[in-house]
Amino acid sequence: MDNHIILPALGNEIEEAEISEWLKAEGDIVKEGEQVVLITTPKVTVELEAPVTGRLTRILVPAGELVRVGAKLGVVES
Amino acid sequence: MPKELYIDPHVFKSRNTLSAPGIPIHAYEPNIEAERAAFGNAGLLRLLRDMVVIREFETMVGSLKSKRNYNGVEFNLCGGAHLSIGQEAAAVGAAHSLEPDDHIFGTHRSHGEFIAKGFSAIRKIPPNAVRAIMETHEQGALLRTVEKQLQGTSATETAENFLLLGLLAEIFMRSTGFNRGMGGSMHAFFLPFGVYPNNAIVGASAGIATGAALQKKLARTGGITVANGGDGSAGCGPVWEAMNFAAMAQFDSLWEDAVKGGLPVLFFFSNNFYAQSDQPIGETTGLDRLSRIGLGINPQAMHAETVDGTNPLAVADAVRRKRELLVKGKGPALLDVEWYRSVGHSAYGDSTSYRTKEEVRAWEAHDPILLFSNRLQGAGIVRSDQIDAIRQEVVSRMRSIAAVASDPVLTPPVDIKADPLLIGKLMFSNSEIELPAESAPLLSPLQSVSRVQQDAKKSRYGIAADGTKLSAMRAITVRDALFEAILHHMVHDERLVAYGEDCRDCGSTFGVYRGLAEILPRHRLFDSPISEAAIVATAVGCAMEGGRALIELMFGDFLGRAGDEVFNQLAKWQSMSGGELKLPVVLRCSVGSTYGAQHLQDWTALCAHIPGLKVVYPATPYDAKGLLASALSSNDPVVFFESQRLYETVERFRPEGVPTEYYRIPVGEPDCKRSGGDVTILTIGPSLYAAMAAADELQSTFKISAEVIDARSIVPFDYKPVFASVKKTGRILLVSEAAERGSFLMTLAANITRFCFPHLLSAPRVLGSPNWIIPGSEMETAYLPQANDIIDVITWELFPDKRSNRRGLRNWDDQEVARIGL
Repeated sequence: MDNHIILPALGNEIEEAEISEWLKAEGDIVKEGEQVVLITTPKVTVELEAPVTGRLTRILVPAGELVRVGAKLGVVES
Repeated sequence: MPKELYIDPHVFKSRNTLSAPGIPIHAYEPNIEAERAAFGNAGLLRLLRDMVVIREFETMVGSLKSKRNYNGVEFNLCGGAHLSIGQEAAAVGAAHSLEPDDHIFGTHRSHGEFIAKGFSAIRKIPPNAVRAIMETHEQGALLRTVEKQLQGTSATETAENFLLLGLLAEIFMRSTGFNRGMGGSMHAFFLPFGVYPNNAIVGASAGIATGAALQKKLARTGGITVANGGDGSAGCGPVWEAMNFAAMAQFDSLWEDAVKGGLPVLFFFSNNFYAQSDQPIGETTGLDRLSRIGLGINPQAMHAETVDGTNPLAVADAVRRKRELLVKGKGPALLDVEWYRSVGHSAYGDSTSYRTKEEVRAWEAHDPILLFSNRLQGAGIVRSDQIDAIRQEVVSRMRSIAAVASDPVLTPPVDIKADPLLIGKLMFSNSEIELPAESAPLLSPLQSVSRVQQDAKKSRYGIAADGTKLSAMRAITVRDALFEAILHHMVHDERLVAYGEDCRDCGSTFGVYRGLAEILPRHRLFDSPISEAAIVATAVGCAMEGGRALIELMFGDFLGRAGDEVFNQLAKWQSMSGGELKLPVVLRCSVGSTYGAQHLQDWTALCAHIPGLKVVYPATPYDAKGLLASALSSNDPVVFFESQRLYETVERFRPEGVPTEYYRIPVGEPDCKRSGGDVTILTIGPSLYAAMAAADELQSTFKISAEVIDARSIVPFDYKPVFASVKKTGRILLVSEAAERGSFLMTLAANITRFCFPHLLSAPRVLGSPNWIIPGSEMETAYLPQANDIIDVITWELFPDKRSNRRGLRNWDDQEVARIGL
């Protein structure tokens, strides 16, 4: 089953964030709660966690790109 | 929380018992032979003589205050005079062990400490340097008077007379006083001898001396600071905040080697057993001895001791030992110095209503001068007739000094009639620093900062070619603009230190400092405890000691926690010093959003109401960067307001965008953001955007052309562009998010009425927030003035022929709500 890593709402005023760094590569096994990707908002840098345990099958947005709140960043297959 | 400090659950969950060092009580062991060897007979006699000088000086001041006469010299001393008769040994003993570059910060009762430290400095500073100091003060005016009227038998005695006359002239508030008459008894100081400001607010010197110690550490100037305070100040929250600040573990655990170690500050509690009339020990604290305070501050218990303040040698010994610890980076330290105030709290004498005659009599035998005189006589160092001669000489000297100080020709009063603006001109220096081109030492190159790289990719203008607004990730925001100004100053002004809650590792609560920690060492950017009073007080002390401070209070609502420090210290010392001190402090505080009544108040009017603070509240990225650059360049204290709702705001007024290079916008100049001919809308802070939206709607629907002016600054404020606009339009609406009652808009409206009256077609109208609490975020728009509220007021009140259905919620009777207290 595919589970998406999604850019959550990070504050009332924040519309977009930048993908700073993927901490895992496509094909890596990730555990639920494990940090997978660093993102930077206008205010802070935060780590996003894997939603489930499984394999990171696809990175949908590479590092350096801007995405809007709610965007799908990657896929974890459980 | 720095990541390098690991909170180990095994450590914190293990069974243990805390141990604490013992607190020495009267550890000093008198030994006349050892003392004679250490001080010499002349040295011991000098201590006695200094004590007699202080006693007689205080007696003279008390006599002038209560009897308007001292040995035939008539003078009506109107100002305050709090005497320290009984404290002479503590003052003289401490000063003996202090060096000229040690700086004491006093209380309302510090004449004795002032004289003792001054005398000590006069003896320890080379005579030529003392002479140069006296020549410099008021272009030598005071020295000329001393040389003509009070020439001593030696250069040292002349310098002593200079000190005594300068202090007394200040107590008399004369123009040749050390603060040019602007301080008086409770605020006197003389920096060249290491006598930093006395302070009329109980406990206020604790935080200020701590900040001065911080600056001594940062600038590596050497020496220590002494926070003199009474036992009553042990009940003051800001004193505890200061002690905790001074004892922060990060100075040892995290700061770089060159600046490692505790702050060199000695908390010197002058314990006379009475806080005016209350008794801290036994009545108003839970402490049995004041020195026990140290146990609550750090594992070293601040090296606290209780010392016999009636013995100058015991005090000199204790201060010497504490000083040694402080210069080794073992600070802070605390001394509880016990003595008994034999007179009343103030010179009027109120000493018997709250204590028994029996108690006063019992302590008479412990008078420090009596004890020390007997001791020296017993050791054969001095005879009683010699002591009498010393006393007579001192009385005669005091009479001469009083005569000169009270003579309006020799010691002229401040001539306010000649220049009615004289005091006003002392409020601000209105001077700025230039920044060196070279960079201060950084941890890594500027261009390596990830935020700098990210921001470099952003558009400098917030509107895309197709007219859409760019997001905060794509264009420079108010937050980024503030960061750019701060970054430039932190890089180029090595004296500037930034701190506050959550300022370093988390980049400050609202992200303004994000990235700074990558390049700035800890001693230039650090986290403070949640101690608003200490944050501001230490910045004041840092500035007094020659530093520059950028501090953050997170929310403007927390100003209340630093009320005295902002309103009585930061605002007052430039003028109370007669212009001698400069306080380059920028106090950033944000006006919140979404958190309701204790986190969303625009308190600019509070700051504007207190003379001595410059107040700024920008609303656009361009203004934020330029005004913060000016604030950080200023030598005056600036309270810099920011709106949390505007941190993500991009530049929409200047198509050329926010300049990448450094620039300054002068504080005090309103800026026209939209031209119009029918009505002026003057805004403070984020109301600019409501006004702009309203102006568009007024034009399109009502054919009313609105001119929008952004105040940008509140103090100072140049009325000219506003008056010019009002003379053109004849109507003005003033809008801000501050509660209307007492807001700064009311002051602006009153002056516009006064100066533009013939041009007005209707009365100036103020639209602020209602005079009740700010609700939570769901109801914010019903509270803060919105575009619809602006349209309602303009169409219903300023252009009654344009009335239509009301759009906003504000349809109450202002007179009626005022009648019921709203």
